[in-house]
Amino acid sequence: MKFNKVFTLLVASGAALLISCGAGDDNAGYEYAPNMYHSVAYEPLKQVKDKESGLWVNSTEEEIGEYYSSNPNNEFEMNMLLPVENTVKRGDFLPYRIPKDSLALAAATLTNPLPNTKEVLADGKALYGRFCGHCHGSNGTEPGLVGERYAGVPSYTSAAVKNITEGHIFHVISLGKGRMAAHDSQLSQEERWKIVRYVQTLQKQ
Amino acid sequence: MASKHSIKRNFKVFVVLFSLWLSYGSQAAFAQASAVPTDAETIKAGESLFKQNCKACHSVQSRVVGPALKNVYDRKDLPWIYAFVKNPVKVIKSGDEYAVNLFEEYNQIEMTGFPSFTDEEIGSILAYVKDQTDNAVVAEPATADLKADPAASPSPYVNAIIIGGLVVLVILLIVLAMIISKLRSYLSNTELSEEDQEYIAKPDGIFATLRNKALIGIVIAVVTAVVTKATIDALFTIGVQQGYAPTQPIKYSHKVHAGDYKIDCNYCHTGVRKSKNANIPSPNICMNCHSAIDKGANTGTEEIQKIYDAVENNTPIEWVRVHNLPDLAYFNHSQHVEVGKVACQTCHGPVEEMEVVKQYANLTMGWCINCHRDTPLNTKGNGYYDKLVEIHEGKGEFTVAENGGLDCAKCHY
Repeated sequence: MKFNKVFTLLVASGAALLISCGAGDDNAGYEYAPNMYHSVAYEPLKQVKDKESGLWVNSTEEEIGEYYSSNPNNEFEMNMLLPVENTVKRGDFLPYRIPKDSLALAAATLTNPLPNTKEVLADGKALYGRFCGHCHGSNGTEPGLVGERYAGVPSYTSAAVKNITEGHIFHVISLGKGRMAAHDSQLSQEERWKIVRYVQTLQKQ
Repeated sequence: MASKHSIKRNFKVFVVLFSLWLSYGSQAAFAQASAVPTDAETIKAGESLFKQNCKACHSVQSRVVGPALKNVYDRKDLPWIYAFVKNPVKVIKSGDEYAVNLFEEYNQIEMTGFPSFTDEEIGSILAYVKDQTDNAVVAEPATADLKADPAASPSPYVNAIIIGGLVVLVILLIVLAMIISKLRSYLSNTELSEEDQEYIAKPDGIFATLRNKALIGIVIAVVTAVVTKATIDALFTIGVQQGYAPTQPIKYSHKVHAGDYKIDCNYCHTGVRKSKNANIPSPNICMNCHSAIDKGANTGTEEIQKIYDAVENNTPIEWVRVHNLPDLAYFNHSQHVEVGKVACQTCHGPVEEMEVVKQYANLTMGWCINCHRDTPLNTKGNGYYDKLVEIHEGKGEFTVAENGGLDCAKCHY
């Protein structure tokens, strides 16, 4: 009888302990095979700065824990780096080098390298929805939900902007103007030119 | 004679010019409100021009991006206003003191020029502005702040009431137990008749039932079953981080950004259609909007200030990664989102409703495989699949599994 009681108590407390293994809030929970979970190579969007982390699963005599994942040679020990300055991406347009204050030059000289086809317009429309619509509104005349709060979003059909050229639009998407910020870190040049095609249809509505 | 004449004429010219200058001066000082048209038609034309071209940055009554426009015709003379609206940059560059001060006051952002406007058109806009100035409607103060509904979260009193009730019950039990033991000791110390003693010696109702062998057996069986089930369930949660919702360095709310303001996920997670990782936005993307929006709906300026600090000091914001797929499995976002057209919510759940992001799916292998078995391959408009679709015709649904979606090496390599 005594043994039975102790046994029951053990099983119950063991179960309670196991239930606490689940993740929630700040607790990520326990891992089943931790050696196979943590990347040995540098992961760009992951960083473990604690050198002791995962020391208990080390299979070698090394003094740095298995989970440690930071590059001490980089600023802030980050695993990711920007490309070297002035590098040119393969298979893409040459970098856009016209400076921000040369809007007039861009407006006068740039031409859209993409054809005015249905596919380009459809892509442009999709990209517009993802990257422009929340400020400029679904059809570019009334500001979207963010635009209302942000204020200062012009209508594409207003006298000031309805006749601006494709080069002007491209330059402003890339580097910004007035209150609008640069979007060249979010959109490739090809994507920007697709958006330009679509925005031109909105200017003419 | 001739010289006298010319002096007289010169004097006349001077008088005329002087009076003109005087009248001009008074005009500039006391406004040209009278020069602004007031007929309904002009006001209406001005209203539509204002709404189309000016509203984005100007309001009549309050400062938006640019200054409030009420009484603008009292501040400068009409020719100056015409020139400024047509080409603000030119007026500022000319060194005009008023224009330069405006430019400095408004964060060195030049107003967009409207060279295509005629003087009449600008006049009609002024007419609308004057109409609005004179017939000002007292606007209610804007209460645009999106506050969370307090009724949505359960009241903290509910827990207190439950706990209080339990405490009262426990106290009651203790009191009853004490009464029983007191009665027992009293009874054992008193002289009782034979009949009464027999009655006391008889086991009570509850204890009799508790000693029932069959009941004990059933209870043990049920407890064992429950404990076993709980143990197995618990074992299965090891290595599964479903529900993980870590505290982030900034109390960023997906509910506000993606839910209330409907910003597309892709706007910030720029890699989601192009690369393996969806990407965590760097502060420059936050600043696209937060350069102007410095007060949040939930936390005011406190949390947004952290972005400004990060940008100013050039320090990274160390977000805590929520979804930690084990290194032994490969997953690519672009393959699923761009090619497969899978919606973000399929795996991440209703992120647009989450104040704090939590891991929605369990991200186990079984979960991946089930989806690969059930989901038809998205082959529409994708030339790569034409031949495969042709070969597969008449062999049932062409799912991801049919295309090698269950092969080990598809994800483990």
